[in-house]
Amino acid sequence: MRRLFADRLVLATGVIVILMSIVFALSRALG
Amino acid sequence: MQLLYSLRGAVWILVYLLFILAPLFALLAGSHPPTRDFWTEFSVALGYSGLAMMGLQFGLTARFRYVTEPWGEDVIYHFHRQISLVAVGLVVTHPIILVAVKPELLALSNMLEAPLSAHFALVSIFSVIALVVTALWRAALKIKYETWHLIHIVLAVVAVTAGVVHMVGSGFYLVDPWKRALWVGLTVFWIGLLLYVRIVKPLFMLRRPYRITEVRKERGDTSTLVMQPEGHPGFRFRPGQFGWLTVWGSPFKITGHPFSFSSSAAVADGRIEMSIRNLGDFTSEIHEVPVGRRVYLDGPYGAFTIGNPADMHVLIAGGVGVTPMMSMIRTFADRGEKRPVILLYGSKDWDSITFREELEALKERLNLTVVHILANPPAGWTGEQGFIDAEVLKRHLPPPFADHEYFICGPGVMMDAIEKALGEMNVPMSKYHSERYSFV
Repeated sequence: MRRLFADRLVLATGVIVILMSIVFALSRALG
Repeated sequence: MQLLYSLRGAVWILVYLLFILAPLFALLAGSHPPTRDFWTEFSVALGYSGLAMMGLQFGLTARFRYVTEPWGEDVIYHFHRQISLVAVGLVVTHPIILVAVKPELLALSNMLEAPLSAHFALVSIFSVIALVVTALWRAALKIKYETWHLIHIVLAVVAVTAGVVHMVGSGFYLVDPWKRALWVGLTVFWIGLLLYVRIVKPLFMLRRPYRITEVRKERGDTSTLVMQPEGHPGFRFRPGQFGWLTVWGSPFKITGHPFSFSSSAAVADGRIEMSIRNLGDFTSEIHEVPVGRRVYLDGPYGAFTIGNPADMHVLIAGGVGVTPMMSMIRTFADRGEKRPVILLYGSKDWDSITFREELEALKERLNLTVVHILANPPAGWTGEQGFIDAEVLKRHLPPPFADHEYFICGPGVMMDAIEKALGEMNVPMSKYHSERYSFV
């Protein structure tokens, strides 16, 4: 069960990093 | 204690995210390079984040007790493996998007004339792919664990270093000296984490060796190494914790092996025991360890330890997974504790039950019930047989089940089945603790 929690943490980290990368790219592209 | 661990765990998650994202967003400060299209910027952000995640992988395996405690070492290693797939995905997506936006990058003439930094990018990406392939298919590729471990470290260092050289060499975002210093400093920090585990910790272990004073043969093809600290007082541990043992060679050897302590934590002279079953790999040589040999121990680690004294402790062990339970039971006996303890102990057959006689004797001194579950019971056996499942738990545990504390250690399949069964019995996650002994 703790591993399941870790798996969800991995998924959440991936999603957050991709979303933040989008924010970064938008802020750059839109000047 | 549980609340404190949860808080500490949450803080470390935030620190982890900060270490990935802060260096990326720092690029937005100071002077800015010319604006580019969204996809190019997005691919660059993925590359930077992926590299930061790869660098932090060194931290996850750096055995920082304070960091790993809220989760348990096995979960940290599981996270290390899973998050590496995300990091590799990000790093590999970076050039794919760039090529999709500018297909001319793939033209042979451009590749030949590409700057040196682009070649470092290729080195980094191929190292990363090799890292994943060798980690996921080590057994299929028939690579020895010790060899793989060395390859793994070398590839990781090459991948991260080449990635940073590519980044600094490209120079698009790192025009400001402080931004270059930030990323180079981060790389030094990541590699420093590796040096801490591989050089600083072994140096510490070298000054605090242990001597084998006895090798005891146990039932179930298991040997107990009794170790006494040599020239130092040893360390205190909590029952259920484990240490990294190096038997053959120096503490600088790349591969150590994690084993639970099986001895009582209440022993005052620093003596440590580890009971190791012959599983056909390097463990097959444990019974040949000569008395008097100098060995090295790094520990204690792990969050798998006894809980609230008011709760009934349900210890569920499969095979050699009984060793941390044995440490708990022996500690209870030495401390004269009377908390109710039930040991549900799955073994192959009657003769292979490690510590069988000692457990019988300890029942006299403790409020201890031992239930043996045998996969191959002898003729006339009236006890439990097969495997530990929800029905076995319900037959031997007094309700309400959610009031007890559960400790599970054994093969992965058994642990998955029991965690599922406890979920069906409405036992909250905070009430059970598990440790997978095959986590590396």
